[in-house]
This record gives sequence, C-alpha cells and structure tokens, in this order.
Amino acid sequence: MFEALQRLIEQIQGTVFETAVQPLLFRLGLMDWAEDSFDGIEFALYGALAVAVAYVVCRPLELWRPVECWDDRHAVRTDIVYTLIHRIGIVPAVLFVILTPIGTMIDGYLRFRGYIPPEIEQLVTPLYDHPFATFMVYMAVLDLGEYWRHRLQHRLPWWWALHSLHHDQRQMTLWSDDRNHILDDVLAVVWTGTIAMLIDVPPGEYPLVLIGFRLIESLSHTNVRLGFGAHGSALLVGPQYHRIHHSIAHAEPPFDRPRGCNFAVILPIWDVIFGTWRRIDEFPQTGVAALDGPAVRCGYLAHQVEGFRRLGAVLMHACNRRSPGFAAAFPARSTPSPG
Amino acid sequence: MSLLRRAIAYGLAVAVAATLGTVASARASTAVVLNSDDDTLSVVSGDSYREISRVHIGRGPHHLIVSPDGRTLIVAMSGSNELVLIDRKTGVESQRIEASDPYQLGFSPDGKWFVTASIRLDHIDIYDAKTFQLVHRLPAATMPSHIAFARDSTTAFVTLQGTGSLIAIDLASGKVNWTVPVGPTPAGIITRASGTLLVGVMGSDYIAEVDPHDGSLIRKIHTGNGAHNFLASPDGKTLYVSNRVAGTISVLNADTLEVTATLIAPGGPDDMALSPDGRELWATARWRASIDVIELASGALKAMVPVGRSPHGIFVY
Repeated sequence: MFEALQRLIEQIQGTVFETAVQPLLFRLGLMDWAEDSFDGIEFALYGALAVAVAYVVCRPLELWRPVECWDDRHAVRTDIVYTLIHRIGIVPAVLFVILTPIGTMIDGYLRFRGYIPPEIEQLVTPLYDHPFATFMVYMAVLDLGEYWRHRLQHRLPWWWALHSLHHDQRQMTLWSDDRNHILDDVLAVVWTGTIAMLIDVPPGEYPLVLIGFRLIESLSHTNVRLGFGAHGSALLVGPQYHRIHHSIAHAEPPFDRPRGCNFAVILPIWDVIFGTWRRIDEFPQTGVAALDGPAVRCGYLAHQVEGFRRLGAVLMHACNRRSPGFAAAFPARSTPSPG
Repeated sequence: MSLLRRAIAYGLAVAVAATLGTVASARASTAVVLNSDDDTLSVVSGDSYREISRVHIGRGPHHLIVSPDGRTLIVAMSGSNELVLIDRKTGVESQRIEASDPYQLGFSPDGKWFVTASIRLDHIDIYDAKTFQLVHRLPAATMPSHIAFARDSTTAFVTLQGTGSLIAIDLASGKVNWTVPVGPTPAGIITRASGTLLVGVMGSDYIAEVDPHDGSLIRKIHTGNGAHNFLASPDGKTLYVSNRVAGTISVLNADTLEVTATLIAPGGPDDMALSPDGRELWATARWRASIDVIELASGALKAMVPVGRSPHGIFVY
C-alpha cells in the first residue's frame, strides 16, 4: 500500500511539474531551479499528506476526549493558517531560497580547506548495509539537536521572546505545532542545517516515514485527554507529556528552570538523560500567564508583528537594564487557572 | 579502507553482483539506472522492460561512466562524497573513493586525467586518473554541470548552469583559459569529431556550437525547449539531444548537425544510452520516475519502465 501511495505521489509530482512549474521556469529563465522546484513539489505534496493524516488521526481524538472545550475557536483558525503555510511549503520555500546560498557558501569554503563532512555510516560502519537503520540514527541525532535548540529557546530571553509565540496559545490543538515566529523558523533552519553540515545530510529516501514523525508532533499538541502511560511516555512524546511542557504554570522566567520540563520533540529519552523528564497525571491549562488578549488571539500577520515587538522589547532591556522592555514584552504574571 | 569497511563493501558487492551478474548472463541488454532521490541503483531487464531489482548504493547517485579500460563502472555519489567503482563484468563493488560532492565526471581521452564537477558547491576537481589523487581544485561560479575534453586531452570544458557560461581549464596547470557566456542554463556538452564543442542550452531551445580555442559561438541549432544532454552513436554518425521541457529527443546528423527526426520522450528526458544492438534508445525520465525506451526504427515509445525517484544516469549493456 505504501509503495502504491508513494507511486501516486510521484505521478502527481511529475504531472504538476511538467504541466505547470517547468513551463513557468522556462519562460522566466529559471531553469537552474528545475531540480529544486521539483523537490519542492514533493515537499508540498508530502506536507499536504502529513496535514491530512494528522487531521484524520488527531481530530477524532479531540472530539472523543477533549481536555478543554471552547465556544470561540478563532485562535485555532490562526494555527490552521500557520500549519498550512508551513507544511505545504510556503515558509520553507522562502527560507530555502534565502538560506541555501549562505549554507552553500560556508560548505564550499570548508570544502576548499579539505573538510568533507563525515557520514554516520563511516563512524558506525555496519550501518552501510542497513539504510533504514541509518535513517533512524540520523533522525535520532537531529532529534537530540532539536531537544537542545528547544532548551535554548526557553533559556535565552531573546529566544524566548520569539518562542513565546508558540507557547502563548491557550487553545492548543493538533494545529499548534507550526505556530512559530518566522525568525524562529530561520534559526531552526540554521540550527538543523549546521548539524546536517557537520554530520552530513540525512538520507531522503523515506518520505513516508517523515510523515510519521510529523504525526507525532501534531499528536503531541492535540487537545485530547490521552497519555502513553509510565513506560510509553518514556519512549515517545505524547499529548499529555507535551501538554505538561506547555503548562501555563511553567512558562515563567527563567522558563527552563526550575519547573520547565519535557522539552523533547520525539524521543523523551533526552529529557530522561538531561534531567528534565517529568511525569504527572495532569492535563494542565496551556499558555503563557503574562500573555493574553489581542496579542495572543489574533491573525497570522498580527501575531508575527507581536513577535517582533516582544523581541525588540527584550533586546532593549538587554541593552539597558533599567528599560522596562522585558516587562513590556511580558507585562503581567497572572495566576494560572487550574488545569 | 578498513577491514570492517571492506567487509561491508563486500556485502553490498554481493547484492549488486546478484542482480547485475545474474541478469548479464541471461541477456545482453540490461540497464543500470541511478535513482538520485532514492539513493538506489536499479537494474532493468531489456527482455521484459521491467525493473528486476533495486539496491541501496549510497547518497545522491547522479552520473556514471565506464573507465577507459572498459572494465569498471564509476558512479558519482554527490550526497555521500564518494565514487563507487563496480566491476562491469561481475557487478561486484570493488572500491569507494572519497571525493568532494561529485555530480558529473569524465576521463580525458588519453586516460591521464579524471575530472568531477560539484554542481552544488561550485567547484571542479582534477584528479590523476591512475591514482585518483586530487591534483587541482578550482572554484567555478556557479553550478558547474557537464564536462567535455579537448581531443588532445589538454583542456576540460565545463558548463556553468548558474551563470550561463562555459569555462575552459588547462588540465596540467589547473588554470582557467577562458570563460564565455553561452546561453541560459547550459547543461550537456560534447566534443565533435572536428574538435568543436556542442552545448545543450537548457534555458532555451537550441544547442550551441562553440570554438574550443576561444569559446566563440559558431552557430545555434534549434532542437527543442530545454535542450539538455547529448549521446553519440558508436559509429559517430548520429547525435541524440534530449529536450527536457519539450519532452522530446532530437536526432541529428553528426556531420551536418541537421535535425533528421524528433522522438517523443515524455517525463523530462535526461541521460540516454543505446541498447547494444543499436535498435533502442533508453532515456531517464526524471520527472516520472521511469525509463523511456524508444524503438529507433519506428520512433515509437516502446515502454516506460518504472524505477526509483528521479532517475538520472543510465548505462545499458
């Protein structure tokens, strides 16, 4: 079945490229972007499939046993916009066009000085014969990188100013995973790109498996009263596990200590190893206590502008400690409502 | 190569041998196809027009060539930064050689030089072909793509897709002789018997004939939108040009460069190869994850053989 699905996606990809994209590139004199555009269509198709799979799996769960029910789901609609423009490729395409030449320049510079990035297969030679195992090892390494990026997002005030956009959602649903500031996305690309440059890029032959990973990320934000139990929550990040991370009670400075926990994206083992694993039988309210109102319940563009405002205020405060910048960014700390 | 690595290589060799070797003994016409997005090598039967097997070979396989002695297939792995050498007779992988992002590759006619182009990282590497020791590494802005050689083996010519130009490099010194504009997004390049160069101008609908001494344009020959790559028939009388955007392959008289026929080749035809009996033209269809098999006598599309994602290099024997 998976093979037939992959074949179908290849057919759609080829048809879209041949009939619409390639003629346009040819007319515009952009044929040197042909391969990248072809891959971009694949990214968009698998992204759309990932959204569909996440909806089919997670939405029934939200209807079945929701943690919270809301009459006004306006804030959720903003997250749907976030999801669509991220996963179907608009934001990734823009970042690819802007950041790829920079990455290529750095990679080319290192190459001229004799640096060829090592493959994990060279370090663990039995992996040469097991491409799927190799792929999973790469995903684990990247997941470790994501864990530490996430820790820094909570530790550094200026990064928290950006990441707080992801956390300020009080109506967390399956759509909330991609609720990120554009600068935060840039940093994510640079972070992951740097790791990929150091360990060489992971193999790309398992696009359907990547959908599985995206499903885990959507599921972890799903508004459902569901946990994976004592053992399961140590193996895979689930809705309850990640909801504890999003708890409104935890989103206060210094954010990743002493109460910040459960930073893992896919594999909770990183929280266990680095001492940030926490398992409690609660489904707390989500959000950032200091942030509410129009700054949180707004459309995509207004939310992005709000991110710049928070970042500017924090940077002002960093330059001049007497500036009320940080307080302006995070004005009040109301007592969190019980979850 | 460490002993352990040798053992791993041997394991892969057995897998490749099991496919290539077996098929080769069954029938002469067999195609080896590199699926660049799948990181695999497909073996396709010329009997059944079906993919017989697909093996993981490493990351980013794009182009392949035969060594000057005809014994070895050399696969350029741009993603995993290596060249994979496969014994042509047995299908056994014999060696992996570290190389920087090899995308396209070629030997000089005298077999002295081996050149690779890195389309992603904008550089060209010149190796001693006997030892595969790097002799020169040159920056090449931007997107160095396909390679051809002067008939006297003194010079390599490389198309630069990103800047629409052609560069000539003195192989011994590694110095650039000249760089000239040649047309939008140039790709394939081949040296004619007369010594002039033909360049596929992918951003337009023609191939350009270029003087190898100074890069001056001699003439343009219309073939079809997205003129991409070349294949010369073994007798040197016919040239085939794949037109990626048009979805066609132009057949040219190699002496006059007159277009004598246009073959339908759907799916973005790219690299091409002739069957050993010369009756079929096989082309990788990049955008349809398949191989176009065209019967030359009738010009009919005989088969479209599904393979892996983004098939690129092809070798038929």
